[in-house]
Amino acid sequence: MAFSGLDAEEYDRIYSDRQLISRILKIFKPYRKSMFIIIVFMVLNSFCYGALPLLTREIIEQLDQSNYIIPLITLTILVTLGLNLLSFIFNLVVRTFQYKIVSQVSFDLRFKLNYAVLLQDLSFFDKYPTGKIVSRINNDGNNFGVMIHSSVLGLASLLMLIVVIIPMLMINAIISSIVFIIVPCLFILIFSFRKIVRKRTLLGQRSLALVNALVQETMSGIQIAKTFRQEEKLFKEFNIVNKQNNKVNTGKEFAMNMLWPLINTVIYILYGILLYFGGTAMYLEIISVGDWYLMFQSFSLLFNPVWSPFGQLAVFWPQFQQRMSAAERIFSLQDSKADIEEGHYIFPDIKGKLEFNNLNFSYIPENPIFENFNLTIETGESVAIVGHTGAGKTTLARILLRLYEFQSEDDSVRIDGKSIRDLKLNEYRRQVGYIGQVPFLWNDTIENNIKYGLPNASLEEVLSVLKQSGGVEWIEDLDNGLNTQIMERGKLLSMGQKQLLVFARVLLQNPSILILDEATASVDPFTETKIQEAMEKAMEGRTTIVIAHRLVTVRHVDRIIVLDNGKIIEEGNHEQLMKKNGYYAKLYDTYFKHQSYEFLEEHKAKLI
Amino acid sequence: MTRSLPKELDPASRTSDYIIKVKEKILLKTEEFYDVNSEINLGKDPFEKVRFKGSRSWIFAHLFYKKNKFLIFLYIILCILLFFMRSFNFVIIGYAIEDITSNIGGSVAPNVFYWTLLYLSNSIGTQIIETGAKISRIILAQCLEEEARKEFYMSLLGKSQSFHDKQTIGDIMAKATNDVRFLNFLIQPGISGLVAALNNLIIPIAMIFIVFPDLPQLCIIPIVFVALFLFSLKKYVTKLTPLFRSRQAEFANMSRILNESLDGIEVIKSMAQEKQSIAKYRSSAIIFRDINIKAGYIQARYYPRLFIAVAVTLGLTHGIILNYNGYITVPEIIIFLGLLSTLRNPIDYSLNGFFYIKAASIGAERLIETMLAESEITNPSNPIIKQIDGKIVFDNVSFSYPGTNNYVLKNISFKVSPGQTVAIVGTTGSGKTTLTKLISRLYNINEGNITIDDINVQKYSLKSLRDQIAYIEQDVFLFSKSAYDNIAFGRENFSKEEIIEIAKEAQAHDFISELPEQYDTSVGERGVQLSGGERQRIAIARAFLSDPKILVLDDASSAIDAKTEEKIQKAISKILRNRTTFLITHRLSQIRWADLIIVLKKGKIVAKGSHKELLKNSKEYRKIFIKRFDKTYSELIGDED
Repeated sequence: MAFSGLDAEEYDRIYSDRQLISRILKIFKPYRKSMFIIIVFMVLNSFCYGALPLLTREIIEQLDQSNYIIPLITLTILVTLGLNLLSFIFNLVVRTFQYKIVSQVSFDLRFKLNYAVLLQDLSFFDKYPTGKIVSRINNDGNNFGVMIHSSVLGLASLLMLIVVIIPMLMINAIISSIVFIIVPCLFILIFSFRKIVRKRTLLGQRSLALVNALVQETMSGIQIAKTFRQEEKLFKEFNIVNKQNNKVNTGKEFAMNMLWPLINTVIYILYGILLYFGGTAMYLEIISVGDWYLMFQSFSLLFNPVWSPFGQLAVFWPQFQQRMSAAERIFSLQDSKADIEEGHYIFPDIKGKLEFNNLNFSYIPENPIFENFNLTIETGESVAIVGHTGAGKTTLARILLRLYEFQSEDDSVRIDGKSIRDLKLNEYRRQVGYIGQVPFLWNDTIENNIKYGLPNASLEEVLSVLKQSGGVEWIEDLDNGLNTQIMERGKLLSMGQKQLLVFARVLLQNPSILILDEATASVDPFTETKIQEAMEKAMEGRTTIVIAHRLVTVRHVDRIIVLDNGKIIEEGNHEQLMKKNGYYAKLYDTYFKHQSYEFLEEHKAKLI
Repeated sequence: MTRSLPKELDPASRTSDYIIKVKEKILLKTEEFYDVNSEINLGKDPFEKVRFKGSRSWIFAHLFYKKNKFLIFLYIILCILLFFMRSFNFVIIGYAIEDITSNIGGSVAPNVFYWTLLYLSNSIGTQIIETGAKISRIILAQCLEEEARKEFYMSLLGKSQSFHDKQTIGDIMAKATNDVRFLNFLIQPGISGLVAALNNLIIPIAMIFIVFPDLPQLCIIPIVFVALFLFSLKKYVTKLTPLFRSRQAEFANMSRILNESLDGIEVIKSMAQEKQSIAKYRSSAIIFRDINIKAGYIQARYYPRLFIAVAVTLGLTHGIILNYNGYITVPEIIIFLGLLSTLRNPIDYSLNGFFYIKAASIGAERLIETMLAESEITNPSNPIIKQIDGKIVFDNVSFSYPGTNNYVLKNISFKVSPGQTVAIVGTTGSGKTTLTKLISRLYNINEGNITIDDINVQKYSLKSLRDQIAYIEQDVFLFSKSAYDNIAFGRENFSKEEIIEIAKEAQAHDFISELPEQYDTSVGERGVQLSGGERQRIAIARAFLSDPKILVLDDASSAIDAKTEEKIQKAISKILRNRTTFLITHRLSQIRWADLIIVLKKGKIVAKGSHKELLKNSKEYRKIFIKRFDKTYSELIGDED
């Protein structure tokens, strides 16, 4: 069977069982006290459990003799009842702790995974679909938690196995030794399923992640699908993935379940042997009925497919394998290293001098964006970067934010003379304001969105930045004003409104360095003027880099950098560059001129 | 450790809300429910009507759907057979012992071999039947999961845009994976546990009757046990249900939070707010954990485990008393104890069983809730399918987004003749984009009429209507597929050559050719490899391909440089000729083409007319262009006010 989309992710790796188990043990370390309690009570429980058939044998032996001692029988029955009660209590203690640890460990894992993922570089998220990551954190996190249930069961089963086998040995070593021959066979059988089960489970989890990713993407692009009436096509694709998921998981279930009948058959053969030899021995009066009953009872205590230790073990093992593959997926994600390693230096207050010295950068090795790139921006200077699409404008901003790692020496990028690699990331980024090309907002209220970078800001501060960015009027028109919920990505707002909010959000952050990737989607002139005014205010006294798409911006900045293929080919202010009549002048003609008054003048005749 | 649940998770309020919702739906919808999906050829959805009857009926409908019903009957029959045979094992052993002990010291040796053979053949028979039962069960469970997910997905695709506006992707994802999976678990360990439990409860007692026809009193203890067991099981399940319900809801919440933070990862990183996101996820994960701990606390206190131990001991005592009075032999006691101890099986079976059946029905409720929620954009009873000419009339149209009282558009009236170009201008939030969405009926309007070729849009077949309207969006969404597929998205019957031809027209060919694998390059989930301008060009190509009668261009070419823009505008001007076009733009070059310009302010039309007329007559219109160029139009055209 060939399945598509079920390959491992690049960050997936293979761990040896020993590595996995030692990692897993580490996770349980904080709960060793509870684990200890669980084990103690489990041992106690096993003793009660093992003693019960002994008592029953005692009673049957008594009955077999024609004159009973009634008080003795009564006493034995009372002891049996007492042991049952004790066993229930021990079991209760074990389970209570067990559930607690399961929930706690699942939580720890989820939390750690979420943490590990959020600390990844941006390049990580470019490579891996969100849906698959979500599936790994939430679904595999769950799977892993249940591992404890199976482990406790497995451990308890082993203990009981020992407790029950000893009295059997005491009765008749020969017959009991059959058990010893067969138990290892059973174990071999079970363990040999390990590989199959693990492989199938892994495929199963991947195919579910694929379904997840597909649903996620459809829902993100649903509007396009609807306007183009492409539901049918999406549905077909979904059907393929969904069917595949069915097949893969049916295969997994088969693998996990076919082990059982095999084991059971072996166990029944064991019973048969016991019946034959035990029966014969009983006829020859080598053992008594009570003894035989004890042996038989012990056997079913050991091998009942449902509740016996062995049955549990048989359930435990495939489940354990399933958890192990969940663990593998979890650890891979956790271990996937971010390229960017942060330093420890914290600037109390960045002034804003930026230097690029011989910077090299590429997303993919064979396709360099910057080679030996040099640029210095002075404190408080405002710089516009212009150039054709793909010249490296946005990349420069991303490097400066340290969202992507560059490939050259440490001092290739310096902030106030300090290498960017030495800086503590959070503290640094907090002093850099970034406005991306596409405004992203959270599924939250307008107020909380503005306060995103500074959750403790007061309402006055929020209103003041809103005033600066011209957002007060239209927000007041909304049903709930600042408390309006704007849904995922702010989808209830128009493009212009989103831009205004993103601007307010950064203004509130009050950064030392401002990086503005001017939105390419145009806003109406009113909004644009408002943003322009706010921008001019924001640029005062701040080092500003604008990836410029608008004429007003290039005219207003101190210096314009003209980029082409990762190289600076011209720089200066608007007038200087226009006089030069070089590359910029051409760029101006293509990108900016048609926005100008002069252009309009020229076309006056056409317009009126 | 246990924290009180947040209000929205409060199970009590959720259930009643849910019931009311479903009841309303039944009243409202049963009579006028139309099959939207069949028209877009997703195939028939056989479960559509059952959803209104609640989760239980819905699950049953799935269980008895087509080949499923054979599987489920097969499974149940095999199970009954299986448990009879299992109990029979104990009888064989009992009689074997009796045969052996009664012959001890006698002249005829008991036929131990015969008993063993009987036992073995019965046992191996059970294994064969068990395997059969398992196979039918596994196939059933997987098919159920597949069908339910398919149905859910189908219903999602059939929903209107206003529905999707209200949904969070994370929640939908949780439903499509987690909740649907619970339907699989409904079979195993759910129903399989229940069947096993029932069999294990009824069959041993029946066997006791059969084996000891003279001693009906032997059934007293097992029957009392079963009664006690069922009673405490019911209590147990009642206690756990609300917890399970809130657990599934919280799981969805966790995945929603996670999904959103991954979506906005660039903002998180650039604003150094990782901590905030982590804390948000953490608080949801804590609620989830605490629900689990609380549930575990109840699960640990499962009294039937104690009951069975007591029942077996009491049964033994009962046996001894009967033996003392000479009613029963020792081997018979062993048979009795053997049968009694099979009653132990259902305890854990049923525990798992009920747990998952409950989880499945909660999952089903959650799925149904989404599937039933709003199908307000449905096909009319006699949908009109026609070739549209492109005459559009808005007559006093008012609109507010569903669930809000805030009119986004008020009393909008205008007329467009076929093939005309309309430019819509106005400040942000004035309702420009919304207005265009009403044409293809992505939303239903509150008041007024929208007609295309003098026929109300609500009378059109949705497919026919939307097939003939294309959008070029502000925010271009690309699917993580090849550039080729992203362009071809509109239609399937185009050759690769034709698509390249169209990409050239849309000025997308040059940059696509420079991609590593040209048209086969995957443009990635977040489309990082493409800039905003490039994405827009793909969208333009996409729209070219769908050859619509009505075209909506929302700022589409704003990212492109003048040179490319000119080319595109040439191409668009070609495409404009035979279609009605709406332009949302502020670019004069585009506005120039417009036969009609509509100036919107706060959802109202403040002016309409041609560019010339508006410059002369509308202050609002002039104001926009004055601001734009830092000069007054009076300088440009001479103010006449």
